[in-house]
Amino acid sequence: MKRLFIILILVFAVGCQKKYTRTPAEDQQPVDEQVREEVMTPAEEEIVEPVEIVEEESVEEERLSAEEKAAAVFKDVLFEYDKYDIRPDARVILDSVADFLNAEKSVNIVIEGHCDERGTNEYNLALGENRGKAAMKYLLARGIPSSRMLVITYGEEKPVCMGSNDSCWQSNRRAHFVITK
Amino acid sequence: MRKCKRRMTSDELRTTNDERLPVISERLKSVKACILLLVIASFCFGLADSVDAKVYIDIASPSVRQLPVSIIIKGPPKSKELEWIIKNDLETTGMFEFVDPDVPGAEVKAFLDVSISNDIKVILSVKDLVEGKEVLKKRLTVSKKASLRTMAHSISNDIYYVATDRKGIFRTKLSYLVSEKSGRKGLRVMDWDGFNARKIVSRGLTSSHSWSQDGKFLLFASERKRKWKIYLRDLKRGKEMVLFSSKGLNLVGGTSADDLVAFSSSKGGSSEIYTMNMFGQKFKRLTRSYGIDVSPVFSPDGKKIAFVSDRGGSPQIYTMDIKGRGIKRLTFEGSYNTSPSWSADGKRIAYVGRKNGKNQIFVLKSDGKDLRQLTFEGNNEGPSISPDGFFIAFDSDRDGKRGIYVMRINGEGQKRITKKYLKAMSPKWSPYLK
Repeated sequence: MKRLFIILILVFAVGCQKKYTRTPAEDQQPVDEQVREEVMTPAEEEIVEPVEIVEEESVEEERLSAEEKAAAVFKDVLFEYDKYDIRPDARVILDSVADFLNAEKSVNIVIEGHCDERGTNEYNLALGENRGKAAMKYLLARGIPSSRMLVITYGEEKPVCMGSNDSCWQSNRRAHFVITK
Repeated sequence: MRKCKRRMTSDELRTTNDERLPVISERLKSVKACILLLVIASFCFGLADSVDAKVYIDIASPSVRQLPVSIIIKGPPKSKELEWIIKNDLETTGMFEFVDPDVPGAEVKAFLDVSISNDIKVILSVKDLVEGKEVLKKRLTVSKKASLRTMAHSISNDIYYVATDRKGIFRTKLSYLVSEKSGRKGLRVMDWDGFNARKIVSRGLTSSHSWSQDGKFLLFASERKRKWKIYLRDLKRGKEMVLFSSKGLNLVGGTSADDLVAFSSSKGGSSEIYTMNMFGQKFKRLTRSYGIDVSPVFSPDGKKIAFVSDRGGSPQIYTMDIKGRGIKRLTFEGSYNTSPSWSADGKRIAYVGRKNGKNQIFVLKSDGKDLRQLTFEGNNEGPSISPDGFFIAFDSDRDGKRGIYVMRINGEGQKRITKKYLKAMSPKWSPYLK
């Protein structure tokens, strides 16, 4: 009980502190100065405080469209720096890609090979192609016919992440899937 | 029996070219008629004592001295521009020191009498002030359509020739790539000093590119509709044809004096080095390795090819003969060496090496010795050596946006030649142009 009382006092005290009270000194500010402030910051007057909209908390349920399902399956396959062999974490993605393609026979894919910005452009194009091909070889082994897959390299020319840091470089070293149908 | 390998004469090339590009001979006529610079009208009257011409700057000597030169221009206000361009040209060589004409000290004086009417005329007189004689007097004429710059670069060549007894590169050009807003990459050509830029290819994503040895064509690799093909572009007529097309990645490397084209293709699975002729015929496969082989460039004598391969586990530069034999690894420093460019005398190779996490330009002798690092700031890539072997064009991000730079072969005098706002890369130096 005593503790609650202290908390209440604290809450009240904090609340009071935050409240802005105008001091007499401020009240006595010359009028012309206030006018000048308004003139200098006309834009501020137009700022309307954002209104929070309370959304309804109902849950809508519907089945995923083929595209949405695909988006969940066709995640980028990532690679090590200057390497084009398939990492263990990539196998999981490629396995689900293979399952999807085996189920949806009408879907064809383009596998884009990409690199981070650090290498030189020409070598990176070759490296990107080998990444795309490594992904394709894995899918071939999982029974997807080569007629349903096309590999194209973009080297370092089409990054998804524009920064120059390890995490960006990692997300750019990728085989990316595009569905062509 | 020795296999007879004959160099194609330019006439032969032209006639064979005609089969594919039927308007070429007509084009030659029209080129003669309206060539940018009408040097045809540049009469040499009184090129004094060309037999015992004095060499003012001995380029071959280890410590090149700077020649004190005065440039005097007489003519309309616009002709002042000529002076700026000429001075910039000569300054880049590091071999000249400009002396105010009113102050004594100059050893050579270049006097330009400029008149601008329907065309631009310059009477150029170069005097040796030490011996008190005129060493060159000539008239140069440029049609009004051509730029004043072409005139200036020609005069720079003349002054440079008088001073060094060597052909200047001031009329050469650079082809290079520009990042377009749409994510595409376009191919452009500009004068060696960064001015006079011209769009050559805007479609698709263009990557590797190379000049034909006569400077009339640009070969380039472009991705259009998810296909990498090698194209040939006629610069005078703007006509374009597909030189090579197959499944996979096809990138053009260099061209040889024998009109061979080196390129890489992954048509057989992995990226390998091939050669073909300028008509996209007579393919020869030169490499057979599991990994990546790219970026082949010919030595100036056309007998060797330098290329990049990851056969040893990391990208390194190798050389081989043009039959694919005698493969030798050239680079051993570091684990990332790419983009070789051979110097005009065949003695050196410039390339990109990765050091302390950044790409830098290195030069080494073609026997693999005497390695030198030329750049130290930012990432520096895409070296291309000028046809006289004295300059290297390259790209760098040292000032923020990647742009094109020029430096001397020893790494001195590095300067940006493209505008700050332009994202430009991969310069390729043209051969000498007529």
